[in-house]
Formats: sequence, structure tokens, C-alpha cells
Amino acid sequence: MSKRVLVVDDAAFMRMMIKNILIDGGYEIVGEAETGRDAIELYKELKPDLVTMDITMPEMDGIDAVKEILEFDKDAKIIMCSAMGQQAMVIDAIQAGAKDFVVKPFKPDRVLAAVNKLFNE
Amino acid sequence: MDNREQYLQMFFDESAEYLQQLNENVLLLEENPDDEEIINAVFRAAHSVKGMSATMGYERLTDLTHRIENILAKVRNKELQINEHIIDTLFSGLDYIKTLLDDIRANGEEVTDVSTYLRKLEEILENGGVIQEPVGADRKAKAGQQDFNAMLTLTEEEKEEIYNKMTGDESVYNIKVILAQDCLLKNVRGYMILKKAQELGYLAKSNPDQREIEDEDFGDSIYIKLVSSLKEKQINQEFADIIDVAEVIIHKEDKQAKVVKEIEKEEKKIQVDNNKKLREGLSNIQVSPTVRVDIKKLDNLMNMVGELLINKTRLEGLNIQSDVYQDIIQQLDRVTQDLHHIVMQIRMVPIGGIFNRFPRMVRDLSKELNKEIDLVIEGADTELDRSLIDELGDPLMHILRNSIDHGIETPEVRKEKGKSPAGTILLRAYQKGSEIIIEVEDDGAGIDTDRVVEKAIQKGVITADDARQMEERDKLNLIFQPGFSTSEEVTDISGRGVGMDVVRNVVEALDGQVFVESELDVGTRFTISLPLTLAITQALMVVINNEVYAIPLSSISETLLISPDEIMQVRGQDVILLRENTIPLVEAARQLNLPVEYGKYKEYEEIPVVIIKSAERLVGLIVDELLNQQEIVIKSLGKYLINIKNISGATIVGDGDVALILDVRNIA
Repeated sequence: MSKRVLVVDDAAFMRMMIKNILIDGGYEIVGEAETGRDAIELYKELKPDLVTMDITMPEMDGIDAVKEILEFDKDAKIIMCSAMGQQAMVIDAIQAGAKDFVVKPFKPDRVLAAVNKLFNE
Repeated sequence: MDNREQYLQMFFDESAEYLQQLNENVLLLEENPDDEEIINAVFRAAHSVKGMSATMGYERLTDLTHRIENILAKVRNKELQINEHIIDTLFSGLDYIKTLLDDIRANGEEVTDVSTYLRKLEEILENGGVIQEPVGADRKAKAGQQDFNAMLTLTEEEKEEIYNKMTGDESVYNIKVILAQDCLLKNVRGYMILKKAQELGYLAKSNPDQREIEDEDFGDSIYIKLVSSLKEKQINQEFADIIDVAEVIIHKEDKQAKVVKEIEKEEKKIQVDNNKKLREGLSNIQVSPTVRVDIKKLDNLMNMVGELLINKTRLEGLNIQSDVYQDIIQQLDRVTQDLHHIVMQIRMVPIGGIFNRFPRMVRDLSKELNKEIDLVIEGADTELDRSLIDELGDPLMHILRNSIDHGIETPEVRKEKGKSPAGTILLRAYQKGSEIIIEVEDDGAGIDTDRVVEKAIQKGVITADDARQMEERDKLNLIFQPGFSTSEEVTDISGRGVGMDVVRNVVEALDGQVFVESELDVGTRFTISLPLTLAITQALMVVINNEVYAIPLSSISETLLISPDEIMQVRGQDVILLRENTIPLVEAARQLNLPVEYGKYKEYEEIPVVIIKSAERLVGLIVDELLNQQEIVIKSLGKYLINIKNISGATIVGDGDVALILDVRNIA
């Protein structure tokens, strides 16, 4: 069974990007969220195997969302989607417990390498 | 990329939205330079545009937005104080973004050179007192050399610390982790490597240290002295598994360690910049759940509803005497009406979408002209058909430019006139019946009709003779004549040849009307009225010369049946007197160039007259018969027939016949 992924990003464009990459890589997208808050709700509802999490989002940013999700499920696998220039925040997120990060613009092989690695362990 | 088209469309749509947000928020920022929420909103929007641009491979856009973001980051960190210069620079940056987007749309690539502007941004960054530290390339370790001793020199205290703490099954490893050349966000990767080291054992020392890593002040390699009970191979594997790690070189120190103390794995307090707090109080931009749909699909849907409506009308025309039939017809009527309503609503978007562009323009222009202007916007949530919205931007822009340039006086002049130094422009939209009214009102100088007439004569639009016979209102309306511009000199702002006639053409092409009212030294008001939607409308069906025609109800004031003796003559023109208004009569058939005997209608006992209104003027249109009122679906006549006088389109009526739709504007 393919792994189930929740895609979180406030830009529909980015969601579409990453969705297409993951679907091509054999993953199943079970949900999409536009804000950190929605992401938490959806995580609780869907229990996905993986979350791709944008950092800057309205209502609640990705880092706080990571924290709350990990509070709810300490084994949650979350990959941060960052852009150049967000280093400090990515470090924050990794410190909070995010497993890895990918950098926009997304390169399919990089995204899949990061994601696949999480499931090989 | 297969999906390139799809991405591109979305890219354009979303970047336009973000650009709008940016414009609004930078404007807000100018007024509230310390508002963190606004700074964050600008930052976020710039950031999103950057992300999308980078993904699409547009380097200039990426670079541009990246630097704008840098400025915002400095502002956020209080390293830079917002001032007028920064705001202006940000605004011109937004203009560059727009230009680049336009480039891409037109040519598929970025054409405009932004390097000069980028330097300007760089200057701001530097003048802000902050030096961009170069990525520590000079520190780049000589690859291949396993100079662990040099890189990981320990002080005596450190040595003691390590070797005293070691337990029997632990060893000291010297590790060099080399990052891939194309590694992105090196500092984060580096941080992950340190974190991994801490998970594997006791991180005695690293070069670069954590601070340097977080500041991205290092080359491609990280040296680590790790105390761990794990095997060499395992440690190697753990590091090699991290993405972007190109190579791991690991050496086990031979020294036999002595057990003294239990190692206290003290988690280092990680110092992360205190951006976090600032990031929290986020967004006033509410994202409501929406579905993006290609407008063409909506057009199709509208067409289908139109077809349904036509068939419903045809069905009604059968007029079968049966309860079931009546029942079905009633149901069908209700459903189609609801459907029509819903489709129309789907196509409706708030006019705020175009209104929001104006504050920025008004700001820029008034600054340029040294005028003080308050733009007041009312009814931005008024909804209008999407296809109308797209067309309206330019005419409104033009009217506004006129108000700013010619209408509102300079503060000095205003003071002399006893007005407040700051002029007000009111931009208001509201729905009135089945029409949308948009008003642009200023409290400026008003339009001097004498000057208008003078100019019109000078430009050859009218003759002096014409002018003497003109009413005030007609004089005012001269501004809508082609080739007319009241400005003494052609300024850069308005009056660049395209005048108010263009405004009128656009509005009329949308089946709307534009009026102007003005009073000297009090102000000017432009009023644009538009139908709610273009596709389906209520119409009165009439017979003219044995053919059925439709007249849109929006242009009808009332209908009458008159007897021939009510007709009077004024200067050879047939008129009737209606509630003390003299209304000229015209024969519809004659207007349509149909062969009719002159004055034949006067032989009828009752003459059906449709009073049509256009720009506050009433005209009685004589037809042969009034049929009924019904909903019609407006179909275009196609591009070859588009210029036929007095006919604006066609519709299909109940019996399947085609009826032409009268365009009464030119008749009235």
C-alpha cells in the first residue's frame, strides 16, 4: 500500500507541484491544508504517514504546526518545505522534530530522495 | 514539463493575487511602519512569489523578490527603519515584478533588465548598517586532507573533559563530513549533521562550531570529534544517510580511554534567532476555501443554462391544457431560474478586485503632482460579473486619473477657495435594481463648460453654431467626444490622447452607460451604470414590420398605447406630452431601415409606444405590437455582423425563431 501524505502549503501552486512529484513517486495524497491550523486538524483526522509542511503560512506557521502535530503524535514524519533564506526557521523546525527538509524550487529527485529515506529506516 | 501550461496559468493567477496583496500591504506599511503584522504579510507574499518564480525557473523574479524579502527581514529584525525611500523602492520593486510577469506572459521569458534596481536594493541593505557577510568561502577547507588535528585542536580542559568522561566501551572518532556541491541551505544541513552527532554520542567539538554553521559561515566540510559507543561503520552510515552528504571520512582515535565519570550528555542550548516571536502574530489575510475554475468552463455553463432557458420558453409556448403540464412548467421555471441565479452568482466577483489597485495609483500620482488626496472607497464588496470586472479597470483608472490631474486642485489653490487642503475622491459601487452603479466623485474644480465648448470648437468637434444651441448637459458631454482633451498641455498622467471617449466606448460595449455631472468649484461626478450580467436579461418582445424583436428591459422606461390625436408636432418632429415632458417619437421600423410608408402609424387607432431611456433622455419608439416580457439569452451576432446599427445581438424565442435584440442607445 502506498504511503499516505498530507500536503501543507498556503500556495495552491506549491501544493500542486509537490503533489505531482509525490504522486509520480508512488505516494498517495490524502489531504491538503492551507494553514498550520488546518494541517493539525487534518493530521488528527487523517493520520497520514507523512506531512510536507510549508513554513510561512497564515493563521499558524509551519513550525508551530510541527510542534503541535508532534505533541499529538510523537512519531509523526514531517518534512519541511523551505525556500532559500529561511534557514533559521528550518533549524527551528528540525529542532522541534521535523525529520528533514526540502528546498523550493522543488526538484523531484530531491524531494523523493528525502521522502523515500524516511520510509527506508 | 507536461504540466507547464497548467502551472503557468496558476502561476500567473496566484502571483497577480500576491502582487495585489503586496501593493495593499506596502501602502499600509507606509502608514504603519512598525506594524509587525503588515511587515510579515508583505514578507510572506514576497516569499510566496519568490517560491513560485524559482520553481518556474524565472531567475530575475526570484532574485528580485528574494532581495525585497531581505529588506523586509531587516525591517522585521529592526535593523532597518522604514522610511519614505524604502517604501518608494519597494513600490518600484513591485512594479518590476509586474513588468517581469507581463514579460513572461507576452514573451514567455523575462526581458526587462532589473540589475540597476537590484543594486539599489543592495544599497538600502547596506545603508541600513548591516553588512552582508560573504559565505565563508575563504574558510573552505582543503578537501581530501584529513587534517583532523589542525581542525579539531582541543584545549587541555576540553581534552580532560572528554577523556575523563569516556566510558569503557566508548571511542573517540574524528569525522569529516563533506557536503555535496549543490547542497541547498547548507546551514540547516549542517545543523542536522550536528544534531545527528548528538544523537550518536557526545559531540566533543566541531569545526565549524554550531554558531558558525547556523550562520552558514563555513565551506563544504564539517569536522566533528565524537565520543560514541557505536561502531565506526555504523556512524559512517548514519552520516552518509543524511541527504546532501557527499562523503564521510571517519577515523577512530587509538587512545585507550579511562572511565572516570558518567558522561552527562548535556543538550546544548540551541540559539536560534528570535524571529520566532515575530513570526507568530500572523495574517489578516483570510483564505476562504475556494475552487479555481477556468472562466471558459463558467462561460460554457452559462451557455448551457441559456439553452435550457430557451427550451423552457419553447415548452411554455406549447401551452397544453393539462394540470401535469402546468405543474411541470412551474417546476421547470423555478429550477431554471434558480440555476440561472446560481450561475450568475458564481461568475460574480467583488469589484474590490479592481478598486484595490487604485489606492496605490492615487498615492503615486498625488505625490507626483504635489496634491493631497484622500481616496475613499465604498462598496468594494459589490459583486459584478467577472467579464465586466476585467474590462472596467482601465476606464475607471482613466476617470480617476482625470480627477486627480484635472479635478483636484493643489493644496494652495484649495485653501484660496476655502476648501480643505486635501481633496477627496470617492469611489463608490452599489447595486440598483438589475444594474450596478459605479461612481467616481471628487470635490475638485469641476468642469468648466465654457472651456469645454471652446476646446471642442478649437478641435473641430463642433462648430460655434452648434455650441449656441447646446444645453449645459450636452456641453458637458462633449468630453466624451473622440479627440477631446481639456488639459492645456498634455501631461503624463491623463490626456495622452486617449480620452473619455474611450471610457464611453468600453462602458457601452459592456451594455452600460456613463454620465457626468459637474459643478464649478464643487466637484465632478462620473457615474457608470452596468447590467448585472451580460448573458441573460429580461426583455420586452415587440413586433416591428411582422418580425419579433427584443428590447432589453433595462433601457425601457415604460410602454404606452396612444391614439393618433395625442401626437403633436414641434419643429416638424412628432412628439407626445407625457406627464408634462415632451417626448420625441421615432418609428422603430424607420430606424432599422425597413420599408415602411411614412406616417402610416397615424392611421392606427392605438399606437404602441415603448419609452426608452438613454442618458436621462427619453424617446418614444413606435412599434407595431407589444408582445410580452421574457428572459432572453443574448447571443452575439458574431464578428462580421457586430457593427450593425441598432442591433446588439440575437436571441432564440419560444417557437425556435431568432429574434434580434434592439440596441436602443443610438435611437434615443
